[in-house]
Amino acid sequence: MGLVERVKRQVAVMGLVPKLKKYLPLFSKIIALISLISIAILPIDGQYRNTYISENALMPSQAYSYFRETEWNILRGYRTQVENMVDLPLTERNDIMETWLNDIGAKTDTHNNSTIYGIFHSPRGDGTEAIVLAIPWHNSEGQFNTGGAALGVSLARFFWRWPIWSKNIIVVFSEDTGASLRSWVEAYHTSLDLTGGSIEAAVILDYASESDFFDYVEIHYDGLNGELPNLDLVNIAVSITEHEGMKVSLHGLPREELEERSLWSRFKMLLRSIKDSSLAGIKKPHGNEAFSGWRIQALTLKACGEGGIDITTFGRIPEAMFRSINNLLEKFHQSFFYYLLLAPRNFVSISSYLPAAVGLSLAFACSSLGEFVNDNQDSIPFISSYTLEAIIVWFLSITFSFCFAITYLKYTFPVMLMFICILFSFIPLISRGLPLAETKITVAHRMKAFAFGYFSLVLTSLLMINFPLALTIGVLAFPMTLVKISNTLPTSSQALKNSMLLLVSNPYISICAFSNIFDSELTGLATLDRLIPAWNDMNCWTWFFSHLAGYHAGL
Amino acid sequence: MSLILHLTSLIALTVVSRLLPMYWFPSLTTAIDHSVEFSTPITSYRSLKEGLFLLNSLQWKNVYNGGVVHHPILLLKLVNLFQCDTTLYFIVECLITIQFYFLTRILLEKVPKLKEQLPVWVPSLMYCINPISILSFISKSTIIFSNATLLSTLLLALHHNIIGCSIMLSLASYLSLYPTLLIIPILTFFKASKNKVKFVLITLINLQVLMIISFKLNGNNWNFINGTYTINLNFEKNYPNLGLWWYFFIEMFMEFVPFYKSVFNLFLASFIVPITLRFTSTSFDHFKTYAFILCLGWMNLTKPYPVMGDTGFWITCVLYFLPLSNYGNYFIISILLLIHSIILSPIFYYLWIELGSGNSNFFYAISLVYNLALGSIITDLVWGMLRFEYDDGVPNYDLKLTQI
Repeated sequence: MGLVERVKRQVAVMGLVPKLKKYLPLFSKIIALISLISIAILPIDGQYRNTYISENALMPSQAYSYFRETEWNILRGYRTQVENMVDLPLTERNDIMETWLNDIGAKTDTHNNSTIYGIFHSPRGDGTEAIVLAIPWHNSEGQFNTGGAALGVSLARFFWRWPIWSKNIIVVFSEDTGASLRSWVEAYHTSLDLTGGSIEAAVILDYASESDFFDYVEIHYDGLNGELPNLDLVNIAVSITEHEGMKVSLHGLPREELEERSLWSRFKMLLRSIKDSSLAGIKKPHGNEAFSGWRIQALTLKACGEGGIDITTFGRIPEAMFRSINNLLEKFHQSFFYYLLLAPRNFVSISSYLPAAVGLSLAFACSSLGEFVNDNQDSIPFISSYTLEAIIVWFLSITFSFCFAITYLKYTFPVMLMFICILFSFIPLISRGLPLAETKITVAHRMKAFAFGYFSLVLTSLLMINFPLALTIGVLAFPMTLVKISNTLPTSSQALKNSMLLLVSNPYISICAFSNIFDSELTGLATLDRLIPAWNDMNCWTWFFSHLAGYHAGL
Repeated sequence: MSLILHLTSLIALTVVSRLLPMYWFPSLTTAIDHSVEFSTPITSYRSLKEGLFLLNSLQWKNVYNGGVVHHPILLLKLVNLFQCDTTLYFIVECLITIQFYFLTRILLEKVPKLKEQLPVWVPSLMYCINPISILSFISKSTIIFSNATLLSTLLLALHHNIIGCSIMLSLASYLSLYPTLLIIPILTFFKASKNKVKFVLITLINLQVLMIISFKLNGNNWNFINGTYTINLNFEKNYPNLGLWWYFFIEMFMEFVPFYKSVFNLFLASFIVPITLRFTSTSFDHFKTYAFILCLGWMNLTKPYPVMGDTGFWITCVLYFLPLSNYGNYFIISILLLIHSIILSPIFYYLWIELGSGNSNFFYAISLVYNLALGSIITDLVWGMLRFEYDDGVPNYDLKLTQI
């Protein structure tokens, strides 16, 4: 206490508090800048770490993988059959697949007449744990997953001949990577009769071509709501893939950039990580998203390009991964659950990047405090009618945005929403001629203070669960703190500036702009359209959070 | 006239603010009752319902045999009387609101400075619209019965009603054990030593009577003492909660457990006497009330099974310290800590239990923040009282004092 006392006395003697109060808005900007810089320096050597297998039991690629020449003809045989199934309706495809799985010896069942799955009970375990191999009939781009389906069934046949499994193996064929797979996962944990214990890990196969050869492997691991699979799972996937001689691409990095290992490539990968994770659920799902929320570590393996690597080599990745996971005696718990990957074998752990989001939250808190004390506001007591009025407005806007969200879920109207948002932003410009009464100015300051304080609170609560989303909305909404309330009649340039700032920080406009600029997949108002199915299908929070956090603050 | 108007509107507000969420979100009661912040094994509605079921079933002779029920038998019998227990909860909640109103009225007479700062209806209103109290009420945590009796104790003590006060205090102790300690701060409300002796004696007799009634109602079985009180003292059900206890005992060698449990209990009890002695020997009469509230806060901080309902209640009591608010050193920090910890604790619990990407340290860390907030509020209040005394009741904010 002595040291704290001494500092406090010194501060009092120098009269720092009143001096520093004036600079609160500046502090807010500086803190936000620092947090952005602290994110930007992560790709520099020394800031990130090399990945390592934390759980010793995994031992990836330590056992010889046998999915080789002996399986070629079986795989091709299945593939020839699958090729003929392209035009068949889903139920017929599933029926054929069911007979195949039954022939191999699996217990099969269907869910909703759309998803078929087979369970191989482990010869050596108590049957309380399972590993899932999921194959969507159509991948995220809507292409028919010919190679994937053939691989799935031949891998199932291959696995079943082995006596080594200590966990049940479940093979799932769903129509697509999104809603149907998600509904199967949910049904598995709630209503299905045929189950095989708690799912430890899931691997989704995506090989959407009829060719024997491919070039490199994309690994997708972003779950919903910022959830990520345990880093150990991603590590064994990367390690096995590279061990089998294939190149790994994360976040859809194009072929020609795969071998780059520079500061700039890591920086780009960092941005891609943040973007993909914060837009997960809004973008087209790769399949691993479907397993989020049930303590399942899931990732998608996608074969890409045309090249010299054989399809059975691709099959050896799930084989070796299954053998690694099969070794586990406990759930995945050793390694990191929160990380950003800068390259397949470089990562940043949460302790390095979390301060950035905390900083942004702090920046909003500083702005909030600044609104309380600056512009002679501190002479007005806290418990006053102004505060009450501001609290009521704040409460009403939360209620309004809540009701609005529910309405929007029922009736989608993105264009009109956009129009209203833009209209709102121009209020300062339109109402320029109307001077604010002295009392109204205080209320306006208090309203801003509450809005920023609330926003800071939302960011804080979000940043542990979904860091990328917290960071993104924090950055996107930051221009809001620069909006000024002037005591005199605002000049037209000031009003225009305010309007622009509001326009930029409006949650809908900024999210749309963000996804348009940084993501080729989402153009125009597509994001807003997608937010809704994402909510409906996948219980995604993104929509809700951006709504609650941003909307009334924008008001 | 304004009294009736105030009371009716407060009661109406209490009922509306609690009835609407319960009506709109019927599943809220179960949801909150399952959250560790609002319910513990000894206060949860689930356990109460189990007790009621066992009480009414023919096969079971004794409700405490299963080791699930930890509510006192009289409370079970009382709730059992009501066809719809929500009615009883509403009655008790309205009682608390009304009592806050009368408590404020009597304190406004005794503390002249309070009159300018606190309209008479504010504390009850704050209790009405306090989200923590509302949620705690919706969870149907039985903590509100203890809170109601504690408030009556204080109110009757201020009225120098010895018999009523001792009955209420013994009821509060009967309901949740630790309020027994509050006999010490309450004693200072009675000046004559004859009254003090009388108060202690009546309280003890009341407790005896309550015990004997419970013994009879429990089928001539003393095991309700184990079921309701020993579990509290011994912290026998080690569940995560917002308190400081549970984390210590999850991985402690069995040999040390009894020692540390006694230390924790001693820690709880040891500060009651000093606080009472220090703040009731001054010339400021209202410091007795303050000492009572401080002791209550201290107990909330250190007891084995704290719930949010305690805090919601106690924060309302802290409003009476308003004349000291300018002496507070880190009032804003405490409030921010409290808000953040209340928001983050369910999130961290979710990360630990549901997602599995966090662990128990996350939740314990945030519960430490929560306790730090409560602790810093208590220290601020103590400091404010000491300064108030130093300035002899005439605040001199220009004078900067620090501890040595």
